[in-house]
Amino acid sequence: MNRAFACAAILLFGATMTLSQTNSQEPDRTRRPGPQPVPHVALPAIQKAKLANGLAVWLVERHKLPLVAMSLVIQSGADQDPAGKPGVATMTAELLDAGTGSRDVLQIAEELEFLGASMSFRANTDASVGNAVTLTKHLDRTLALFADILTNPVFPEKEFERIRTQRVTSLLQQRDRAAIVASNALMHVMYGTLHPYGNDASGTEASLKSMTRNDIVAFYKASYRPGNATLLVVGDIAMNDLLPRIEKSFAGWEQAQVALRVPPDVLPGRRRVVYLIDKPGAPQSEIRIGYPALARSTPDYFPVSVMNRILGGQFSSRINLNLREKRGYTYGARSAFIFLKHPGPFMASGGFVSAKTDSSVEQLVAEIKRMHAEGITAEELAFAKKGMTGAFALNFETQAQVANTLQNLVLYGLPDDYYATYLQNIDGVTLEDVRRVAAAYLNPDAMAILVVGDAKLVKPGLEKLNLGPVVMLDTEGQLIP
Amino acid sequence: MRTPLPLLGGLLMSATLAATAQQPAVTFDRYSLDNGLTVILQEDHSAPVAAVLVMYHVGSKNEKPGRTGFAHLFEHVMFKGSEHVADGEHFRLLQEIGANINGSTTEDRTNYFEVVPSNEVELALYLESDRMGYLLPAVNQAKLDNQRDVVKNERRQNYDNQPYGTAYEKITGALYPPEHPYSWPVIGSMDDLSAASLDDVKGFFRTYYAPNNAVVVVAGDINPGQTREWVEKYFGGIPRGKAIERPNPPLPVLPADVRLVAEDEVQLPRLFLTWHEAPRGTREDAVADVLASILSSGKSSRLYRALVLDQQIAQNVDASADGSEIAGTMSIEITAKPQRTLAEMEKGVNAVLDEVLSHGVTEKEVQAALNGEEAQLVARLSTVLGRANGLATFQLLEGDASKYSKEFDRFAGITPGEVHALAQKIFGSHKVVLSIVPRGKRELSADPAVPQKKETPQ
Repeated sequence: MNRAFACAAILLFGATMTLSQTNSQEPDRTRRPGPQPVPHVALPAIQKAKLANGLAVWLVERHKLPLVAMSLVIQSGADQDPAGKPGVATMTAELLDAGTGSRDVLQIAEELEFLGASMSFRANTDASVGNAVTLTKHLDRTLALFADILTNPVFPEKEFERIRTQRVTSLLQQRDRAAIVASNALMHVMYGTLHPYGNDASGTEASLKSMTRNDIVAFYKASYRPGNATLLVVGDIAMNDLLPRIEKSFAGWEQAQVALRVPPDVLPGRRRVVYLIDKPGAPQSEIRIGYPALARSTPDYFPVSVMNRILGGQFSSRINLNLREKRGYTYGARSAFIFLKHPGPFMASGGFVSAKTDSSVEQLVAEIKRMHAEGITAEELAFAKKGMTGAFALNFETQAQVANTLQNLVLYGLPDDYYATYLQNIDGVTLEDVRRVAAAYLNPDAMAILVVGDAKLVKPGLEKLNLGPVVMLDTEGQLIP
Repeated sequence: MRTPLPLLGGLLMSATLAATAQQPAVTFDRYSLDNGLTVILQEDHSAPVAAVLVMYHVGSKNEKPGRTGFAHLFEHVMFKGSEHVADGEHFRLLQEIGANINGSTTEDRTNYFEVVPSNEVELALYLESDRMGYLLPAVNQAKLDNQRDVVKNERRQNYDNQPYGTAYEKITGALYPPEHPYSWPVIGSMDDLSAASLDDVKGFFRTYYAPNNAVVVVAGDINPGQTREWVEKYFGGIPRGKAIERPNPPLPVLPADVRLVAEDEVQLPRLFLTWHEAPRGTREDAVADVLASILSSGKSSRLYRALVLDQQIAQNVDASADGSEIAGTMSIEITAKPQRTLAEMEKGVNAVLDEVLSHGVTEKEVQAALNGEEAQLVARLSTVLGRANGLATFQLLEGDASKYSKEFDRFAGITPGEVHALAQKIFGSHKVVLSIVPRGKRELSADPAVPQKKETPQ
């Protein structure tokens, strides 16, 4: 890479020197500067090992900084919450560092401070993840603490009660935030309560109030097992140094069979429905339009990503240029396919000035319909592919970014050569591919359209659009009888 | 160049290792063009990316009365094309190469940046130079009106339609005298945004968007010699502007406590306590950071442990010190649990502050706070964008980019006694006490007897 770069530099020097001889006149500004030769993107080289108890260990060496970052990824997230008990997975993760067999909550906090290390424990819909970052020289002690938290948590009753109360209050506070109310309610109407994606991963008031410490202990025992986990390590250490240390810290972690449940299939909707949540006096309406769409494993990941980049996936997308730059209705509007382990939603979203709520819905629906019917142009295809190719180089700058790429591979079972073939896969997307996926996966006739806004002001306009029945919901996304 | 190695100094820090703390070094080249433009080149080949960042020494504090929010509105207009770049083309050209693009405005400065694959630095420099040199021929009423609408929507989205979203402007309005430029919010008022004209855009551009009022930083996988040529080529011909007069009012002093109550669309009441502290770049601002950290950073911090963990009367609490160019603030925000009042919150906070005022803080607390400070300083160095922004900020607001890698010097040797003395100075001075309560629940405020302040446009 360095050699190629140096060559380019010399060539360019020649050009600019000629220019400066004509004595700093203004350059021809109608000519856009072209690129230099494409720099080499060094992909992470992954080494793999496995402990006797089944714990998979992946390592990417990075010796520039005397630093080691670790992520323990458990393949059970809120998607494995027991039926009727949303919030158990996220509570379990949050309570891991509330105490172990040998350390209480404040001792853990103080030891972290002493090591200068940072740790976090969180669950999302697809996984539960513990993260730690430490200097290589403190790796042994950090690893001991990290493993203790992950393999010997005691979930003290007192901390359980405290976090539970805090969460019930947080749910109350969420009602103030129209953007969160809108997204949660849309997930709820799209997926229903039987599907884990239909519930707030942090739990509902009812589920939190009925939850006991036993639910947490049971979830932990069923999910936090070495065979259901991968330890990802990025940083300043070689495998032969790393492995004995991990053996020492994690060898006592007891193996057990983990049965992962697959959520029920989501039936495609049959018609459009407009849902309205009243927020009297709101200066803006938060709008969400969506339906359950695709899992990360879809073979059409690349054409769908290219298509969405044009529809609403970047600033210069059709949706944002229309709703923001042309009409000035919003600070920003977008669309996304949220690829998860199980089919995740397509969602178009934004906050729009209240007086233009109906026009905003109309324009969003029109953009989705237009894409569904026509796909994109050859020029748009080239624009999207080039942008995704350029952005690829920006994905591996920090240790955290590298760790994140590993997590994608582990969570979604992507092939080892996923990043090595990424650019080829982008390049291979054709106009016909995009037209096909736009027709197949955009679903303008059966979308949920959800608005959080001042009902008195916006309801008549929404009804006039004739997109479907207008149904009132409360802030939890429940039908108002 | 191998800057990242010493970078690790920060993460090394721990209670016992504090003495060995080392500020990471960031090496760079700095020079000026004939037109007064400051240029900083920071070479680092660890990833094939580069950041181009232009920072102008202008923010909301340079606004005139009746035009609050203008500096930020102007930032938006800068993205609508220039003489040789059509409307929409700036974004299109950069998104076509996969760049990360944005801009931001504070009280003191406005920045614009592109993080690009390192073979596209020239395009970013070209685009930045075109809007620095050739914006006005491309500005028109339609573009201004469109971005005025977008900014009003930004205000609705991030302030008016957010719980507690207008608290900050209520506080600054009370904390500073009306003629002080920190007394109005960066986002501005709806009325002032409506009043902004094309003539305002032209005047503002000619005064503040001159090369002598800006710094250009190019950081990352660059060839410095080649980059230097490009900077000269694209920026060298832009004419120097006039000298700029900067507001420099005396440090504000609050003559008496101000107590305010406001109702909002919120479920839980929140109390905001705000004091004056020193401007950025001072020892006092560094000590104030340490004090804030001891009060609310981590589970074992004073306020968190007492009010959230032990007594469990608060949902959350946060203390922060924020030094800007010509003044600073120390603030504490605390949200009550259901059925609790802000009078209880104030009493609880005061009990913790009284303990600090009478007995001071411990050596261990100071060390832990310093560890946190260093980790934050190091984290900001890990990306090309973080380094570019840091170098530009220190160059413009403190006059010397090299202070960026010496920032921790201001923290060196901070003692518990120094923290104690500053706590007495700050918490012994007058403050603004703002209660935000749910509609119709004035009894939950810290001052049930204070009439609600009438909403007046800033």
